[in-house]
Amino acid sequence: MDAPTAAELEAHPVVQAAFAAAWADTLPDDVVLRHEEGGYIYINATTGEILTRRAPPGGRDALDLSYPPLMPDCFLVATFQPHPNPSRLGFDPTPSLDDYIEADGSGVPWFVVTDVGVFVVGPDSRVGGLSGPPGYPI
Amino acid sequence: MTTTLAAPSVSCQRAIDIATADALPMYGADWLNKLQLTATLHDDGWRIEWHQWRPRHTGGGPHYVIDASTGAIVSKKYYQ
Repeated sequence: MDAPTAAELEAHPVVQAAFAAAWADTLPDDVVLRHEEGGYIYINATTGEILTRRAPPGGRDALDLSYPPLMPDCFLVATFQPHPNPSRLGFDPTPSLDDYIEADGSGVPWFVVTDVGVFVVGPDSRVGGLSGPPGYPI
Repeated sequence: MTTTLAAPSVSCQRAIDIATADALPMYGADWLNKLQLTATLHDDGWRIEWHQWRPRHTGGGPHYVIDASTGAIVSKKYYQ
């Protein structure tokens, strides 16, 4: 079984539902409580099932994606994070240079969910395929 | 080829102050203080940038180009 590509993951209903839930939970319209949410996307290497897990909520500025929970037979294949600060207020919704650097260094695609669409940075799919450490491959 | 930059009329600290004054209303001190500030002089001016420094963390900060002669903000991006 190959690691799913970013395009395959983005089209998957489980992933789309996770994006929508994380976006809603960021409270993008609440000036005070707006914050970062997000998490991890896995594939079960035996069944092919796609699963997601959320990271602990972040602050307004950042989200810690350094501790993907591990599950039997599952490999981390991507991460996801909304950018909840509204572009109408002047915030740039696109991935930051830091997002590119971190995604490239992690070995899995990073999805950035914004008010103008979904962006993906990093490799097109998990580096090295479904082998090696089950969390980040790098 | 070597390019020699003229001595800037606007100091590095002044450029940082200009960028900070613009960034604070958007980001707040708590957010900015968690990021790493870099200031470098290029031929288009001072590049004042706040970056995420913690590995495997999301989040970015504002990036500015400040004219080294006048102190005007040439460009800015409010990354997140």
